[in-house]
Amino acid sequence: MSGRGRSERSALFYTLAGVALRVGILGAGFAGAMHARSALGLDDVRVVAVAAVPLDQAAALAKECGARVATAEQICTADDVDLVVVATPTHLHAEYATMAARAGKHVFCEKPIARTREQAEEMVRACDAAGVTLAVGHVVRYFPEYQRAKQLLDDGTLGRPAIATLVRGNFSVGSAREWYLDDAKSGGVVLDLMLHDLDTVRWWFGEPSRVYARRFTGGGGLEYALATIRYDDRPIVQVEASWAEHAGFRTGFELRGDRGMLVHDSRDASPLTVQSPAGPAGPAMMATPTLAESPYRRQLRDLFARIRRGERPRVDGHEGLRSLALGLAVIESADRGSVIAWKAPA
Amino acid sequence: MSRRLRVGLVSFAHVHAPALASTLRGLEHVEFTGIHDDDPARGRVAAKEHAARWHETLDGLLAASEAVVIASTNFDRRRYTEAAAAKGVHVLSEKPLATTVVDGRAMIDACRRAGVQLGVAFPVRSSPAVIALREAIAGGVLGRIRAVRATNPGQYPGSWFGDKRLAGGGAVMDHTVHAADVIRWLVSDEFVRVQAELGAFIYGLEVEDCGILSCDLAGGAFASIDCSWSRPQTFPTWGGVTLHVVGDKGTVDVDVFRQALTHYDDTTGRARLVGWGDDLTVRMIGDFVDAILAGSPVPIDGEEGLRALEVAIAAYRSADTKRPVAITDLRV
Repeated sequence: MSGRGRSERSALFYTLAGVALRVGILGAGFAGAMHARSALGLDDVRVVAVAAVPLDQAAALAKECGARVATAEQICTADDVDLVVVATPTHLHAEYATMAARAGKHVFCEKPIARTREQAEEMVRACDAAGVTLAVGHVVRYFPEYQRAKQLLDDGTLGRPAIATLVRGNFSVGSAREWYLDDAKSGGVVLDLMLHDLDTVRWWFGEPSRVYARRFTGGGGLEYALATIRYDDRPIVQVEASWAEHAGFRTGFELRGDRGMLVHDSRDASPLTVQSPAGPAGPAMMATPTLAESPYRRQLRDLFARIRRGERPRVDGHEGLRSLALGLAVIESADRGSVIAWKAPA
Repeated sequence: MSRRLRVGLVSFAHVHAPALASTLRGLEHVEFTGIHDDDPARGRVAAKEHAARWHETLDGLLAASEAVVIASTNFDRRRYTEAAAAKGVHVLSEKPLATTVVDGRAMIDACRRAGVQLGVAFPVRSSPAVIALREAIAGGVLGRIRAVRATNPGQYPGSWFGDKRLAGGGAVMDHTVHAADVIRWLVSDEFVRVQAELGAFIYGLEVEDCGILSCDLAGGAFASIDCSWSRPQTFPTWGGVTLHVVGDKGTVDVDVFRQALTHYDDTTGRARLVGWGDDLTVRMIGDFVDAILAGSPVPIDGEEGLRALEVAIAAYRSADTKRPVAITDLRV
């Protein structure tokens, strides 16, 4: 069976029913480790190989997963790998995703799908041609607070959306992950952080009509951006992304419809707060889970179930490409200082 | 005993008028000379409520006063200011200064010609948190300031605030100027370029109730202002003022009215915030009065009020043209 058509069930579907899905992980940074650990907790899933630079990082994660260390090329072409998780630096996504697709592997790619639109289009073409699934890790779609907001929008509880603000901040990643600081590799705070909310804005409200943005890139990874996303009639949406949130990661949103308003602030959302005499720098005394299953694991559980059923992923390559393109429009607007008319890629 | 300044209140049209009247009545350095209002019924009630003298004519109030606070509609501010200046009376104008740059300029000129001072009511500058932030910025604690995200969202005030002629616009006219003024003051810099997205989405008004401004400052920093009347009627307070300030060496969040008790009130079926922070109106008018008494410049003058107004006017022009607008284009 050819498996060329996107609506057809993939060739791998029949081989996966009832047997373990074998996963190879590319990258052992934050995303690679998160996805590997999330996969570990799922039934009928095995992490078989890990590739990363530097090698010792790969070895540690491989050991934790009971997997072997391999090169990225080996994983993309290995006989015992059904799906490749691409969690490398952003500028390398396209190379490995297309390599894996051509070898008949499903691809789960961390967001953003790629650094450039051309790279993303190449990935989509390669996966479509090979009849494999291409999924993009826009994990916010699996965060229950964002899902609840979407539900209250869709069922009319909030009325017609009028204005929304979405904020997302983190401390500067600094020199710990040097590639983040290279705009040509990462796309900076817009493609790394704001892209979550740009994807959420598209998910909640559909395709906007125009974009205006300002950003600055300071020294040492300090970066901050503001974007205004306008829909033909409504809503008006403001998105903030910050690598100057020195107190650590936080998210928030405010969503005003003509019948009410939702407010979320992650800093006020933890059911569990721990302190010790050692102070904030003291040792962690206990785990602080806030959900029975993390959004990252929910994301993989959903993706793997869809692959087994021969269904399309919730966020496929085309969808990942559209969110990337919106991020690139934000960057273009900030660089040129002009309003950019938005037309989503097909 | 130190001298008291004779201060009157012109018009009770503005939602801030009751607080202004109470403040004038309570300030130690003020002799509250009374109230005049074009709407005699409204004015008489207000005068009675605040134990103030009712003046049937504007000239009567001006004759009794060394300074007046003008709490009229935005549109009427110019004519009241010009009348006060003509009688040699100092003016503290509610915000925004006027509804057009031309009117604002005329007010400044009239006061200058008459040798009286023109002040503008921006109470956010009186917030101890905002003052502390300004000192930190001036002292270099935060390094170079790169960006400010300001919000001044509120409930829809009703009345003439939704009337295009009397208010000069909607949420942008009402709320942009507070944020614009405090940003200028915090970073000691001027706005040069404004882009805005506006919409009338919530209340079915002829004026906008939602707006996001994106602005550039001369020194290279940028700022955004959310001026929307986005607070639902069930919101526990009228609105608020927040600032998220990003500098090279630090990031600061200000929530000007954060000092509040949460009151869960079974008699109204709602929760309300009960503020306990400093009364900014008292501090603002007190500083204005002290400056007049000392013969020194008022803390926020008409030129500064005009700078803030220009940002709002530029926002309307940007929304019309769907392009960023240079502030200098408003002055030709």
